[in-house]
Amino acid sequence: MSRPAGEIEAGLLAAHGAGDGTALVGLYTEAAEAAGDVDRACFFLTHAYIFALEAGDARAGALYARLKAEGRES
Amino acid sequence: MSLSDLSDVLKPVAEARGLPNAHYTSEEVFQAERKPLWFDTWAGICTASDVPEPGDARPVDFLGVPLFVLRGKDGVVRVFQNICRHRGMILVTEPRKIEGAIRCPYHSWCYSHEGRLVATPHVGGPGHNTHPEMKREEMGLMEVRAHVWMDVVFINLSGDAPAFEEQHAKLIDRWGEFDVPLYHGGADSTFTLICRTNWKLAVENYCESYHLPWVHPGLNSYSRLEDHYHIMEPEFSGQGTEVYRQIEDEDGMRFPDFPGLSEKWDTAGEYVTVTPNVLLGVQRDHVFAILLEPKGAGVTEEHIHLYYAVPEAPEGLRRKNAAQWRVVFEEDIGVVEGMQKARGAWGYDGGRFSPAMDGPTHHFHRWVAERLMRSEGALAAE
Repeated sequence: MSRPAGEIEAGLLAAHGAGDGTALVGLYTEAAEAAGDVDRACFFLTHAYIFALEAGDARAGALYARLKAEGRES
Repeated sequence: MSLSDLSDVLKPVAEARGLPNAHYTSEEVFQAERKPLWFDTWAGICTASDVPEPGDARPVDFLGVPLFVLRGKDGVVRVFQNICRHRGMILVTEPRKIEGAIRCPYHSWCYSHEGRLVATPHVGGPGHNTHPEMKREEMGLMEVRAHVWMDVVFINLSGDAPAFEEQHAKLIDRWGEFDVPLYHGGADSTFTLICRTNWKLAVENYCESYHLPWVHPGLNSYSRLEDHYHIMEPEFSGQGTEVYRQIEDEDGMRFPDFPGLSEKWDTAGEYVTVTPNVLLGVQRDHVFAILLEPKGAGVTEEHIHLYYAVPEAPEGLRRKNAAQWRVVFEEDIGVVEGMQKARGAWGYDGGRFSPAMDGPTHHFHRWVAERLMRSEGALAAE
């Protein structure tokens, strides 16, 4: 059961404000799960992936694989 | 203005004149110096100890060229131009840890620690992170040729100087005995002095021992003028002393020596400028590096770093040593700033050099003049 979009958005704004890259990875991934269509999901997954890359977060590998599977990464 | 009429500087030391005033005061000349005196050779920009851990990054303004230094996950110190290959945004604006990718703060293009472009979010439209015309392999960070020696990070921006080991073979050989681990003394062993002077006056003053008894009377009590000798080689010049006295604390304790030094270094110390801007000093128990960072024609920052033979040199003695050198270097500020002020004098002819005492200073002037004249085609290439 995903959280309401407003709650995720509030969390994203707070994490951006705090510069909390690790939290952003989780929140953007969560936003992708709740997106409803593949284009919106890949938009959010891209953000999750970028913040994971920046943080050296181990989740980057799985996020890359999901994007690649959708033809969104090289 | 033409920089090429420097023929008087190239005359033998007894007849030569120094560089004209404009070479110290003019922003136009300062800009003209950048390529021949800085970009075409190896210049020091910071120390490897400034980025001690993998992921440590710091920006460097290299005479207006934005760079950043990064110690990669592999431990290698690399230098990159501090600009994203996309829209030219600055990437690193303050010293910080970069755990993963270097992310551009503008559109979030990401680069690896080796400079490879690894992510281009939304470059093919929202959620599409590739585009056939955006070839990542062609848009990595612009890496600058770098070499670490004596803990100093040297760069050759133009990329076409001889290899560092080749260009500085004579000094590397001369100081081969100091090719041992150098341990930075830490926060208490580094300091910065801001001097209202042209960078070349700091070099000139460092190269010669003539001023020691007048400017550093305390130093001269044990490091006397007559114990000094000149050092003049194509890419470095300076002075040496045959009577180096070790610093001691109240209990007579000294720093441990660097291992394996020959007898010469029992009493010797040498102090040279690696042109253009790295002033080095070596002695049996510590070495130091002073990196000159010009901030314009008339302002120079001096970044001083002290090194020891062991990782944990005694703190009290370290502090005493740093304080002693600070006194010496601050005494020099008075003269380098005084010479800068005087460069406003109307009709000054560049001054003269004592054939007996000013050889290393003239040697540096020749280095400057030859490179400037060669860059203007007024002197044949080497």
